[in-house]
Amino acid sequence: MAETIITPPILQGPTAKEKKYDRQLRLWAANGQAALENAKVLLLNSGSGVVGVEILKNLILPGVGSFTIVDETNVSELDLGVNFFLEESSLGKWRAEETCKFLQELNPEVKINALKESIDVFADNPSRLEQYSLILLVGPTTNARVLEKICEYADKSSIPLFYIHCQGFFSHFSVQLPAQFPIVDTHPDPASTQDLRLLNPWPELLEFLETKTRNLDSLSDHDHGHIPYLLILLHFLNIWKASHDAQAPANYFEKKEFKALVESGARTNNSEGGEENFDEAAAAVLKSLNPPSISSGLRQVFEADDCQNIKSTSANFWIIANAIRNFHTSHNGILPLPGALPDMKAQSSDYIQLQNIYKAKARSDLAEVTRTVRSSEQEVGRNPPIEQAEIEAFCKGAQFVKMIHGRPIRVAKCTAEIDWNDRAKVLSPELQTPDSLLPLYFAFLALDRYQDDIDRIQKVRKPADDEQLNDIMAGRVVSGAVPPLPMFAESAHFSTPTIDPEHDPKPWPRFDTPEARTTFDNVVKELDRADRGELHNIAALTGGMVAQEVIKVITKQYVLVDNTCVFDGIASKTAVFNI
Amino acid sequence: MGRDRFAKQSLGYLYPRIKQSRILMIGAGGIGCELLKNLVLTGFGEIHIVDLDTIDLSNLNRQFLFRQEHIKKSKALVAKESAAKFNPHIKLEAHHANIKDPQFNIQWFQSFALVFNALDNLDARRHVNKMCLAADVPLIESGTTGFNGQVQPIIKGKTECYDCSTKDVPKSFPVCTIRSTPSQPIHCIVWAKSYLFTEMFGTSDEETPEFDHSEDNENAKEIENLRQESQALNNIRQSMGSDEFARKVFDKVFKDDINRLRSMEDMWKTRKQPNALDFDGISKGASGTKPSIAQQDQKAWTVAENFTVFSDSLRRLSTRLQTSQSQTGIDTVAPVLVFDKDDEDTLDFVAASANLRSIIFGIESKSKFDIKQMAGNIIPAIATTNAMTASLCVMQAFKVMRGDIDKARMVFLERSAARVINSDTLKPPNPNCNVCGVMSSTLIVDPDRATLNDLVEDVLKSQLGYGDEFSVNNEIGTLYDPDLDDNLSKKFIDLGVKADSFLTVIDDDEENPRVNLSLAILEKTLPEDTKAVHLPKKLDIARKPKDAPAPITNGGTNGDTNGHVAASFVGTKRKRSLEDPENGQQQDNKRGKIQMPSKAVGVQDDDLVIADDSNDGAIVIDD
Ligand SMILES: [Zn+2]
Repeated sequence: MAETIITPPILQGPTAKEKKYDRQLRLWAANGQAALENAKVLLLNSGSGVVGVEILKNLILPGVGSFTIVDETNVSELDLGVNFFLEESSLGKWRAEETCKFLQELNPEVKINALKESIDVFADNPSRLEQYSLILLVGPTTNARVLEKICEYADKSSIPLFYIHCQGFFSHFSVQLPAQFPIVDTHPDPASTQDLRLLNPWPELLEFLETKTRNLDSLSDHDHGHIPYLLILLHFLNIWKASHDAQAPANYFEKKEFKALVESGARTNNSEGGEENFDEAAAAVLKSLNPPSISSGLRQVFEADDCQNIKSTSANFWIIANAIRNFHTSHNGILPLPGALPDMKAQSSDYIQLQNIYKAKARSDLAEVTRTVRSSEQEVGRNPPIEQAEIEAFCKGAQFVKMIHGRPIRVAKCTAEIDWNDRAKVLSPELQTPDSLLPLYFAFLALDRYQDDIDRIQKVRKPADDEQLNDIMAGRVVSGAVPPLPMFAESAHFSTPTIDPEHDPKPWPRFDTPEARTTFDNVVKELDRADRGELHNIAALTGGMVAQEVIKVITKQYVLVDNTCVFDGIASKTAVFNI
Repeated sequence: MGRDRFAKQSLGYLYPRIKQSRILMIGAGGIGCELLKNLVLTGFGEIHIVDLDTIDLSNLNRQFLFRQEHIKKSKALVAKESAAKFNPHIKLEAHHANIKDPQFNIQWFQSFALVFNALDNLDARRHVNKMCLAADVPLIESGTTGFNGQVQPIIKGKTECYDCSTKDVPKSFPVCTIRSTPSQPIHCIVWAKSYLFTEMFGTSDEETPEFDHSEDNENAKEIENLRQESQALNNIRQSMGSDEFARKVFDKVFKDDINRLRSMEDMWKTRKQPNALDFDGISKGASGTKPSIAQQDQKAWTVAENFTVFSDSLRRLSTRLQTSQSQTGIDTVAPVLVFDKDDEDTLDFVAASANLRSIIFGIESKSKFDIKQMAGNIIPAIATTNAMTASLCVMQAFKVMRGDIDKARMVFLERSAARVINSDTLKPPNPNCNVCGVMSSTLIVDPDRATLNDLVEDVLKSQLGYGDEFSVNNEIGTLYDPDLDDNLSKKFIDLGVKADSFLTVIDDDEENPRVNLSLAILEKTLPEDTKAVHLPKKLDIARKPKDAPAPITNGGTNGDTNGHVAASFVGTKRKRSLEDPENGQQQDNKRGKIQMPSKAVGVQDDDLVIADDSNDGAIVIDD
């Protein structure tokens, strides 16, 4: 999928809308908001579906563009007990429409639709998914076929998909992203974004160094105690290099030695018995004198085909990444300077001058990257030009760019075994860990399988009493008669389920550690107790967690949950797994 | 099939107790709206909601019980109505009031099984913490900032209380930093908002919380100069409305005052000298700039643009003030304007003035958007964080109601995607806490007769055996200590010690001091022939544990027991600050206190020497 080009809207002063969204604009800025307002979200709802509605609530409030609910159920007495967006008069009416009515009140700007059809019918024609930018699928679906079909289609079309369960005290969600999902603005901790480039100083910085440290020994105590620490480091680096073949301290021992050299420069015959600026310099030796390197996230971006071969259809991201890659290559491995300075002991005039030197350098680096971008645009015939602000944001955060490799989520399948590939090896040790929440994930997987079994039985034999059938099936899961799990150590696959409902399915391998098995059994028991019902409070929490990740995916900002999160509401604990 | 089948199934034996519980929720803002929904659908029998605040447009992106048509209405009342509409079976009671009002006394707190704090300010949080400890009612404390959230169950005698660890307090700045030697954008913003704006349009003698006067004595001469400067500025105010007004103000604050500062050579030995601005020169350059530039709030304006916004907003504000002055009678109090981050006129003026001052001092200019955040103490807030935090509150409430204190946790939400939710076991009470590490008792007082001396002599010295070294304090400050005996003959009422307020007795005995004694005042008319002050039952006050480290105090903010904000500390923190913007009680934030990030701010001059002690995150300001 080609990335949509996001242009921040032209600000006409703070309109009522901007005022309304002020508190969130401070987290994801105008471009994040624009992305959110362009998003079209589809909710395929199942069961009591409260979690789906709670997610939507959290997307409607910040102003998602539009959403569509697919749900054919009518409102029951039970819904009124768990779904906040229904009232007495909704009883017996079409649930999606009733919910939409109340959801619309939360934000008149959001376009809201409801489709009265089952997910099964919807899945028969999955090309209808194309028109949405993000899919929320709530499980368990009526059967595994539906689930498989939708996930497959979303994967093929590179539409982000969230698969969600919420039952009793437990919940789970998995995120299926396109194979290459870059995030430029990961919002790193400001302290970690400082690149002082001390090992590659430029003329203006060296000139300033010279004026400040020329007569170091003759400076007054006050002036000596106010030399900015990074100038102290540069000064002693020059001294060091003079006796070390022009090389900077390279390893830990050399750095320790260098640190001692810096410390020896401090004056101690003053009233404080030391100097704060020299302390700052010594403390910064280990972290500030590293040769330039790039993060693994950025390396992956540089190595990607899209980065090396740009075309007229390339997304902004790749055009800029390509330009930064050029910068990196032509400057011996350094990145554009972010330009920010840490706080330090200094006279304010020196600090401001230093700030200006860094800013000026950041601007000239940005100008160089921009030139490359413009010439690439011309070369491949690309229009309209990428906004300067987008290039600048990339330059500032280049080191922290993250490339997420989305992959199809593992769902219970009816046609084939789940292909666990390398994941089985990674997850097996996790299963051996006491207190691991991973069994929770498998319990939900088993629930999907169990649902699939019920569906088949119902199709073969119309039971006179639905409730009785449910009881029988629930009993079978708890007793282990429907063996729900693979044992990772021995088999990385779910076995093929039996089609014959009259006989117990073929026994499945089980967990080999008692703890994992116990956790699993407890979760299954709890799921059975919940009887596929939701607790509002757990649905609300899960709705918050999922909506937060949805916003990150839509805005392409912040670091995402990659790719599965489970929540245990009894222990108030979450765990994130890459499955 | 009953509608509560799912809740019954999952909650088991707890469910009937939930249905019968009467609970209290304080704050109907971001967390409060979500919490109320969850409490209603969990099936709590009776829910009381207290909130002082009214609904604002900027609440609507997350406080989902409110809509456009509710703006300016009471949060508590609207929240109740909206929630009741969806679930008519629950008894809901709303109080549009300040939780510190006397009607919400200890007995009233005792009538609840559980209290939820969904507040946005330290002061109200501290108050509720104290009331819940006094009433012995479990408290679920919560707060959010952007993507971060935190939930803390507090149970008297079993867990830490809210004040067992110290909290950040709003940052204040030495007067001279703001008025004479600014070095950061925030200094200029505080100057524009709390000095210039107030002198021009507000009540100038009003005390500003951002000003720290502790260094005034050392700089007595400069403080006197500054006082005269303010006076002169105030005189200019008289010419408001005249054609020359803008020039006069501009010349005064951006030229004459700057030149005066410049002439003080000592001040600029280690700092960059400021450069005064020239009205005519800038005005000429700004002739092509339209006032509508004020709408471009994302970029830092040029000198000319700042000048244009400054003149234009000064005109707008002058007109407003004069219009309202002409409408008020002579006998009434003169109308003033108050800075409000959401009032464009006031924000434009503060943004442009702050930037002009920054330009003078060679400090980086900021965009109006950023200045709004800094001047208005805006804390980012989103629906998702509130939703999660509120649900976590209810989950902790289940544990507390089950009596599973061992399983209750301090829970955190984090921006990092590695875990989403983190938790920590609850710590036992801090024995040195000035709020819960204390002996508490009620003190029966006859309001017509009782004097402070009755307490000091009859109760503390004679009955309880205190030595000479101790102090009696209330939330305003110290009432009595060995060097402060002026109040002894005064009656409690004259000292402002009323029913349901607290006194804290701090033993300063060098050898073996007692733990602090907290006395909740209970007023009662007593027979003439009995003592006017007495304890309802005998007290055996424990001694402070030895060797335990004393908590780092924040002066007046620690336990509200003494009223002096010690300038040498600006707060320490163990976890993170809890601020839920716009939630509930807002009287503090409406005044727009500046809250600085908790990490150490830069040291660029000699005014503040800040050391970031990385061991415990304490921030200490030396003077
Ligand atoms: Zn405490």
